[in-house]
Amino acid sequence: MENVIEIHGLTKRFGSFTAVDHISFSVRKGEIFGFLGANGAGKTTAMRILCGLSVPTSGGGTVAGYDIVREPEKIKRHIGYMSQKFSLYSDLKVWENIRLFGGIYGLSDREIADKTSEILSSLGMADVRDSFVASLPLGWKQKLAFSIALIHEPDIVFLDEPTGGVDPETRRRFWELIYDAASRGVTVFVTTHYMDEAEYCDRVSVMVDGRIGALDSPAGLKRTYGAEDMDGVFRILAGRALRKE
Amino acid sequence: MKEFLAFVRKEFNHIFRDRRTMLIVLILPVVQMILFGYAVRTEIEHARVDIVGDMSDPEVRRIVGRMDSNRYLDVQEVLPSTGFISSRFRRNESDVAVCFERDFGTRLRKTGTGHVKVVGDGSDPNSAQMVVNYVMGVLRSEQTEISAELSGSESSVAFTPSVQLMYNPAMKSAYNFVPGVMGLIMMIICSMMTSVSIVREKETGTMELLLASPVKPLWILVSKVLPYLLVSTVNFITILLLSRYMMGVPLRGSLLLLSVVAVLFVFTSLSLGLLISVVASTQKTALLLSGMGLMMPTVLLSGIIFPCENMPAALQWLSHLIPAKWFIIMVKKIMIQGAGFPYIIKEFCILAGMTVFLMTVGVRKFRIRL
Amino acid sequence: MWKYLIEKEFRQFFRDPMLPRIVIVFPLLMMLVFPFAANMEVKDINLVVVDSDRTDISAELIEKCTGSGYFRLKAVCDDPREAQEMMDRNAVDAILTIGQGFSRSVATGEDVPVGIKVNTVNGTKGSISSQYLSDCIMLFMRQFSVSGPSVASAQASVLQSASAPVIDAAPKYYYNAYMDYKVFMVPALMVIAVTMVTGFFPALNIVGEKEAGTIEQMNVSPVSKTAFIVCKMIPYWVITFFMLGMCLLIAWLVFGYVCRGSLWGIVLFTVLHIMVTAGLGLLISSYSENAQQAMFIMMFFVLIFMLMSGVFTPVSSMPAWARAITYANPLRYYADAMRAIFLKGSSVAELWYDAAGLLTIGAAVLFWAVRSYRKTS
Repeated sequence: MENVIEIHGLTKRFGSFTAVDHISFSVRKGEIFGFLGANGAGKTTAMRILCGLSVPTSGGGTVAGYDIVREPEKIKRHIGYMSQKFSLYSDLKVWENIRLFGGIYGLSDREIADKTSEILSSLGMADVRDSFVASLPLGWKQKLAFSIALIHEPDIVFLDEPTGGVDPETRRRFWELIYDAASRGVTVFVTTHYMDEAEYCDRVSVMVDGRIGALDSPAGLKRTYGAEDMDGVFRILAGRALRKE
Repeated sequence: MKEFLAFVRKEFNHIFRDRRTMLIVLILPVVQMILFGYAVRTEIEHARVDIVGDMSDPEVRRIVGRMDSNRYLDVQEVLPSTGFISSRFRRNESDVAVCFERDFGTRLRKTGTGHVKVVGDGSDPNSAQMVVNYVMGVLRSEQTEISAELSGSESSVAFTPSVQLMYNPAMKSAYNFVPGVMGLIMMIICSMMTSVSIVREKETGTMELLLASPVKPLWILVSKVLPYLLVSTVNFITILLLSRYMMGVPLRGSLLLLSVVAVLFVFTSLSLGLLISVVASTQKTALLLSGMGLMMPTVLLSGIIFPCENMPAALQWLSHLIPAKWFIIMVKKIMIQGAGFPYIIKEFCILAGMTVFLMTVGVRKFRIRL
Repeated sequence: MWKYLIEKEFRQFFRDPMLPRIVIVFPLLMMLVFPFAANMEVKDINLVVVDSDRTDISAELIEKCTGSGYFRLKAVCDDPREAQEMMDRNAVDAILTIGQGFSRSVATGEDVPVGIKVNTVNGTKGSISSQYLSDCIMLFMRQFSVSGPSVASAQASVLQSASAPVIDAAPKYYYNAYMDYKVFMVPALMVIAVTMVTGFFPALNIVGEKEAGTIEQMNVSPVSKTAFIVCKMIPYWVITFFMLGMCLLIAWLVFGYVCRGSLWGIVLFTVLHIMVTAGLGLLISSYSENAQQAMFIMMFFVLIFMLMSGVFTPVSSMPAWARAITYANPLRYYADAMRAIFLKGSSVAELWYDAAGLLTIGAAVLFWAVRSYRKTS
């Protein structure tokens, strides 16, 4: 199977502090890849490098077939991104946000109109088309942000703790959207705090102190560490961390 | 009480952890004080004078030499004709042109009158008037000398009344502007610091936590103001030291009284900032209100640069609403005139009244939001 | 791509609860209120007279002074201490003391017991007040000695004698002959309005996106930094010219001030100035972590720009080191040029110096801003 992300010896230092320490891994096309780690373990830094937001100190790799050091701008055309800090414009209406991000990724007015009705009907949000994003409940905002991250049909979508602060039911429905995207061949790269969500992933990596402590399917990890669930796996691995938040 | 102290501690931590903001707040006033203390002044020195006239005429040369040796005037160029004046003005290369008529010296001796035209670039009326007055002064002293030479020493020394300059005999601009700059800087720093305090918690949603606690709203506000009060006090002390020892502004009155007035003014500014913070819905609004909204009126209407008594009646009324105006009046009276409390009682009461009013409105609005 | 970004900025601008109002109210305030406040003319000087002579002649002198129109007579009292007390309270600006025997000595012209005391906390005002008062007294003395019953004084004889040559000096003002302070301030106030709107609104805006996290979303998109920034600035530029037009219109309709030079000159200098302020706004936003810091730094610069540009007090009054600093102040060049064009009708060629100054600062600031503002870290 084809790899859409391949990383070798990726390192990022801030002064004397090594946030990401020689990590290497690859992500296959169409897979849901969970990226776990305690706060401060370096997962956000690593993800920022993959998205072309940050330049690695050493090491390298490719995302969607482009070099992360030399061609970050090309990568940006082929990825979608949704950050942990909710980032649609709250003073724009729902359709205006869709139009803006569609326009940024080079969609024509016509394509944007089609996408808008498609997104709104699939999310069941046609009624709030003219509402300000600020007035929507958090769960709706997150679903909308996810759909907008996919508006230009990217190869990979990066989700940075996408389901923070919502109830389990809303989270479950959000994951349905993720599955739906994956079934259409979009690779999903997701960081999360919730261990039950880790169970939904095809493969999971756990970062400890800037390194990758383990990488396998949830079932494989549970077998290796003799744990009942992902929570147990995580506790064993996170317990080895020297770095505290 | 225990909760209150906990709140105060929390606020202190919150504010002093943001090192960069702290640094900005403590350093900016010092830099501004130094810059403005020296640079904001209205004395004119080195006014640029152009001459139109025949420099081979000894009488013209004598007058031009006299001008050049005047410390306020710098003779720049001799223009061939008056036609060149306007283009020099348009390029901002000269402030005044002194035009001697043809054969000035000969005419002066023969017909008894020599004509001189003093042409000022009037676009800045005040500077122009001052510069033209300097030139006229030079011409007048030349006149006196000529008269004295001709009519012998018995000539009159024109009567001049004795003039006594009170409080600022050296007529230093600093005496006038430094108290103003003090007021301006304190006002803006204090109100801008506090203006975000409440609205920030509103934006991040931590306000609910505070409100759920058993501490009364008034005390929440007080705990927010306390750290800023400390910062402002430090600011006041540095500004005062600078103006006393660097700018050389005297402190003729009592330091204690000045401090009391300053603390009162800090309270006024802080409560204004708090009120803005309570009313504003976003940090941006709060900052625009406290920054832009306060700056222009304070600069223009508090008498820092432009005296309030010159303004039309409506604007004078408006200027009464500017807290900085009263502070500046009091500082001038205490520092320069050495006045005691009885002389500032009116201004003090007005400022105190404003503070109480702003505080009350702030607290009331804050309660309504509960 | 640009179309969508500009569309977004305009939408956000008009939806902001404050900004559109500021853009309307600010120039109105600037043009309709502040020109009246920014007035350095000295008049209505509060005067107290200590008259120990109490004769018709001393009353005539008082009459002469108050009749000049510069003074407002607050009180006539006998005790100099009372007058001093009034000055301490700031109730009066000047004290005129007329001593006993004034009416007698004025006739002989010797040892006239007249004294002036002025409050010089504000040096300019003090010196002008004392000048006015001295002028009044001297005028009175001269008239008195000419018309009076006494022997013509030596002073008068000099004036009347045909033998002494007289330098007849006539002062005249080339521009602004009526010495109108408002017309001097109007272009400068426009300058301040333009500076605030073009430099500081966009900076606050960018910091706002930083705080909201939306800038991150833009950074992972193919939108280039330049496109993002330029699209952010464009609405403010449009608004600036709208505002400038409004100011010029108000100046014409309300005060009857017409720009003497070419409007294109004004446009050109405004564009140059915008280049500087835009760069500065960017610099500020990239160096500050939150809106509060940005605003503090902005206020710092705005105040320095305003107070050290010659807008309010002349640059030539500053000490040499401060004058040197003003060479790095864009407002110095812009205000200078705007005043010259508006009041004197200077052409752009005549103001090449100001244009060069703005260009140099603009290039330096923009270069620095672009370098410091990177999309990646």
